[in-house]
Amino acid sequence: MVSKQDILDVLYDIPDPELPVSIVDLGLVKTVEVVACRTQIELLPTWTGCPALDVIERDVVRRIQELDGVDECVVKWSFDPPWSPDRISDAGRSRLEAHGITTTSCHTNVSNLVQLGTSIIPCPYCESRNTRLDSTFGPTRCRSIYFCEDCRNQFEHMKPTADDQ
Amino acid sequence: MMEEMLTNPLATLILAHADDKLLLGHVQSDWTGLGPILEEDIAASAMAQDDLSHALMLYQYLGERYGLDPDVIAFEREPSDYLCCDLVTHPDDFDWADALVKRWLIAVFTSLGIDRLSTVDDKDLAARCNRIKPEQALQIKHLDAWIQRLGRGNEESNARLQSALNRTSELAGMLFEVPGHRVAEQPDVACGRDEMFNQWLDSIQQTLASAGLTAQFTLPERGVTGGRRGQHASHFHEQLDEMTEVRRLSPGATW
Repeated sequence: MVSKQDILDVLYDIPDPELPVSIVDLGLVKTVEVVACRTQIELLPTWTGCPALDVIERDVVRRIQELDGVDECVVKWSFDPPWSPDRISDAGRSRLEAHGITTTSCHTNVSNLVQLGTSIIPCPYCESRNTRLDSTFGPTRCRSIYFCEDCRNQFEHMKPTADDQ
Repeated sequence: MMEEMLTNPLATLILAHADDKLLLGHVQSDWTGLGPILEEDIAASAMAQDDLSHALMLYQYLGERYGLDPDVIAFEREPSDYLCCDLVTHPDDFDWADALVKRWLIAVFTSLGIDRLSTVDDKDLAARCNRIKPEQALQIKHLDAWIQRLGRGNEESNARLQSALNRTSELAGMLFEVPGHRVAEQPDVACGRDEMFNQWLDSIQQTLASAGLTAQFTLPERGVTGGRRGQHASHFHEQLDEMTEVRRLSPGATW
């Protein structure tokens, strides 16, 4: 029979299809339940319209059902609590930053689109705060695009999902 | 089961929002590849994607309660059982100002409606609404910023936005039509129509004032019926036909 830890070990090895981190480090795993040969996993979507959700679900079911002692794996998507970048682990943060994606949780003002003013998101390459928001809607649903005025690099930021973003 | 859903007061309130989102997501995805700048092309497509996922979250909620497949709720109702407002499918003739103004007026309405739905005493519905809220808030901030940017931009951008507002403003009041022509009485959550309209108006007028734009909006008389009570304009029917074409040609098709 498999333990909860066996399941988590496998989940640690499943990357998000659009980010260089595992779904555990990204904070998607809400609960893991093992009852005899049946496993139920609750996952939290980063953004609800993320097209990677189906791929993640398929990967999880396939990999867990490959384990000896698992007959069935069921994945349920949950909206409670809402996922937020606060759920990303420290290891996940370092990996994302190394790929030019910041995760700093701080209050940004999206209406600075009007003024295109200085943002408070630090550049992951040179740590300058002389950065600006280029576009709220980036290459995936969970990322926005920033530009660093000092090192002239573009970088991405994991969008906060709190109400007071 | 479908019948039970369509005659339940709360279900029709949820359907009105879900149908707005479903139709809006389809209509706005027409802009994919045609946005005025690359970033906005991506933003418009991303917002359309959000709308479809929010519609799905609400259809799933109803589906679980009434034993229906969310796709059946979304695509297999009689046209008169769709409760969206006809502003959603009103053609923008690929004028970016029209598309922007329309989307913004609807987004602010949806945000207020979802806020109200999140107070209904139902944990699952509240969780879904609370998950939609921040995504909706981000859309509004983005759209609000565009209204201000173009309003304050130059003479041409201001004039084009103003004429889009002139074309759209008289249709917007119908967003507040109380849905459900097959429901005897709406619950409390629907009854604050005037209060919700005033909240919406405050928010809209605040942005318009700072953008140097003006518009008049009025709440329709209670007897006036439109999309939310199944009386749809021809552009709604055209859109629905297009959306359901594959499903009608090949029921159960997957890809």
